[in-house]
Amino acid sequence: MSNRKYQEKAIESLLCLSGVTAVVILFLICIFLFRDGLALFQNYSFIDFLIGTKWYPTSQPNQFGLLPLLFGSIIVTFGAIIFSVPLGIAVAIYIAELAGEKEADVLKPLVEILAGIPSVVYGFFGLVVLVPLLQNILDLPTGQTALAGSIMLGIMALPTIISMSEDAISSVPRSIKDGSLALGSTEWQTINKVILPAALSGISAAVMLGIGRAIGETMTVMMVTGNTAIIPGFPDGLFVPVRTMTATIALEMGEVPQGSEHFYALFAIGSVLFITTFITNIVAEYIKKKYKFNMGAGQ
Amino acid sequence: MLQIFLNGYSAISIEFLTEMPRKRMTEGGIYPAILGTIYLIVGSMGVAVPLGVLSAIYLNEYAQPGKTKWLIEMAINNLAGTPSVVFGLFGLAMFVKYMGFGASLLASALTLALMVLPIIIRTSQEALITVPEEYRYASLALGVTKWQTIRQVVLPAAIPGMITGAILGVGRVAGETAPILLTGAAYFLPRLPDSIYSQFMALPYHLYVIATAGTNISQTRPIQYGTALVLLAIVLSVNMIAVSIRRHYRKKLRN
Amino acid sequence: MSGQNNGKQTEIEVRGLNLWYGNNHALHNISIDIPKNSVTALIGPSGCGKSTFLRCLNRMNDLVKNCRIEGNVRIDDKDIYSKEVDVVDLRKRVGMVFQKPNPFPMSIRDNIAYGPKIHGFSKNEIDSIIEDALRSGALWDEVADRLSTSALNLSGGQQQRLCIARTLAVKPEVILFDEPCSALDPISTSKIEELIMELKKKYTIVIVTHNMQQAARISDNTAFFLTGDLIEYGKTDQIFENPKMKPTEDYITGRFG
Repeated sequence: MSNRKYQEKAIESLLCLSGVTAVVILFLICIFLFRDGLALFQNYSFIDFLIGTKWYPTSQPNQFGLLPLLFGSIIVTFGAIIFSVPLGIAVAIYIAELAGEKEADVLKPLVEILAGIPSVVYGFFGLVVLVPLLQNILDLPTGQTALAGSIMLGIMALPTIISMSEDAISSVPRSIKDGSLALGSTEWQTINKVILPAALSGISAAVMLGIGRAIGETMTVMMVTGNTAIIPGFPDGLFVPVRTMTATIALEMGEVPQGSEHFYALFAIGSVLFITTFITNIVAEYIKKKYKFNMGAGQ
Repeated sequence: MLQIFLNGYSAISIEFLTEMPRKRMTEGGIYPAILGTIYLIVGSMGVAVPLGVLSAIYLNEYAQPGKTKWLIEMAINNLAGTPSVVFGLFGLAMFVKYMGFGASLLASALTLALMVLPIIIRTSQEALITVPEEYRYASLALGVTKWQTIRQVVLPAAIPGMITGAILGVGRVAGETAPILLTGAAYFLPRLPDSIYSQFMALPYHLYVIATAGTNISQTRPIQYGTALVLLAIVLSVNMIAVSIRRHYRKKLRN
Repeated sequence: MSGQNNGKQTEIEVRGLNLWYGNNHALHNISIDIPKNSVTALIGPSGCGKSTFLRCLNRMNDLVKNCRIEGNVRIDDKDIYSKEVDVVDLRKRVGMVFQKPNPFPMSIRDNIAYGPKIHGFSKNEIDSIIEDALRSGALWDEVADRLSTSALNLSGGQQQRLCIARTLAVKPEVILFDEPCSALDPISTSKIEELIMELKKKYTIVIVTHNMQQAARISDNTAFFLTGDLIEYGKTDQIFENPKMKPTEDYITGRFG
């Protein structure tokens, strides 16, 4: 009897151990990122890093100013959100409320496929199609701009926003919708005044995660934004090349000697990036939990 | 998409798929990149699938609501949202430097394994949730232990869903670039990787290299399109297999 | 209130059983003696605690979070809630058939073989167990020629008899039935009832039912539950023809019109 009990206990402990791996990994990521990131500040001032406006990692003396990269990330992400959020929500409404079963059956896999395309292929597409197009239409010296990055990131953030918003909209109880329709409201009034407000928290969580995706995307932005480390203005900053935090890490890591100040600076950038996405994740999770519809039964 | 397909199609031939690159990657094939991608898939899934499935079993079948479960789920959510380039940095600091694997297949595969772990855990959890509770009760009421119940009844019923998750993970691993760029992918290698400590070439990084940093970028467009198409074909077919398996079993479940 | 012993040997002896789901006190001080080789029916309006009580007898309530139990349940003169008892062994001895038929998504043969295989019987033994169990479950004649087909293709009534056979294959002493016919048509129901009457020769049977005619037809003793209390317990004839307690009479006459 006890033999079997011990065996069951042992198995449970083993399973628990694998469950805890995720926590351990997250913990290790923090340690390794922050350890090498903080190493920068042994010789370089933290304030200069935080508010420095120049990223000249190889000049003498080197300057590791975060701001141009941070703003680069922000402007590209902002542009992406402006166009992907309304579009994504519209598609989600269509799939969840208006489309017939057939259309939804076509659209949903399509969204999933869109989500599966590797970022480097998006980047390649942006590079050979979108960049020349922007250059010609807008008559710019180069098409590799923040705008190109925004458009590509917007397309890439769409699947996240669409599928999560659709979940949120679909989970609005049928009775609420019926109640509104029974009062003589039109389909659109019902969507606008009843369903969207009810699904708002889920949609906001989707947008937060979309932002997280966009900030963290590397290859695509690296291939289409031109990678010039200057602080962009707004809105004209959209039409010049920028350099994001992610692109900086990926571009420069190959060239720096391990253990140099520059190497640690890139880890510092990585830490900033990690903290940013960590916060967006937590906020998204919080919104989702707090306003989740209580569907009665279920865990 | 269409453009990639049309331009890529004309560039693909048997030689393109089976030969080494020549003349500084302006001619020849992409065989080593395809092979490298396959190695990465095998290596990373070999680690991530068992770990992810076991984690999911723990979360769904054993963990009581409480601090531990909350902490694990919080960690999974955050890992899922962590940018791939951050995983790359972590892989570089942990596997390449600290554990001394060097820039290698091993370091890259492990990094990618950690990156897809949340996907595997989540899809496995979904698969376990769809297994009706009655099966568990029926088995327990026959005097069968919890673990045997899971192994004999719950897991067989959840396998299709878990396979879907694993396949989605494969698609992700095949397409990721940033993490391998920091942990072991080579710009160009004249030979195939011969051990897990070798550097290697991989399709997505190869595409990035020839599209942005190769010699004579505009003349090698056909090769770029061809590479993009091969990559796209691998990733999309893998995803479509996953989606159709899931649909098939969802329909079956409904009946 | 108190259980009566009616001559036969007692199999299950419950004393002062209390059960809480969180703060909800779901069973109040239940005491009852259930005799061997008989059918005991538990009746009462929904939410009265009859199913909860049934699940105490093979400790399925252990699976419910925040469930707390006090009191004494003895089966075959052993306290099933004592620390030395292995729940897994207990459930082997006290089988359970559920409200909805729940065959595993396997072949008919594998469904029956599932328990014996895990409990370590040899292949030859299992083959004879399968036939015995299916015969005792009154299903053999209907499925003998298609044992390898999926159990999910059987009708609801057949599935339920398969679940009974599956329970028999583990060779229990007690079988608990939790409204086994509530999802079935009248013809399937009568087959299951016949089967239960047959099974009581070898097993001790406790059945929860919301169908009073069913209780009257098949049980030897009947216990009437109301809002977590055991109101009345006695010979089935006596409970239905001459209830001593007012609520029992109200419940029975209310249904019979």
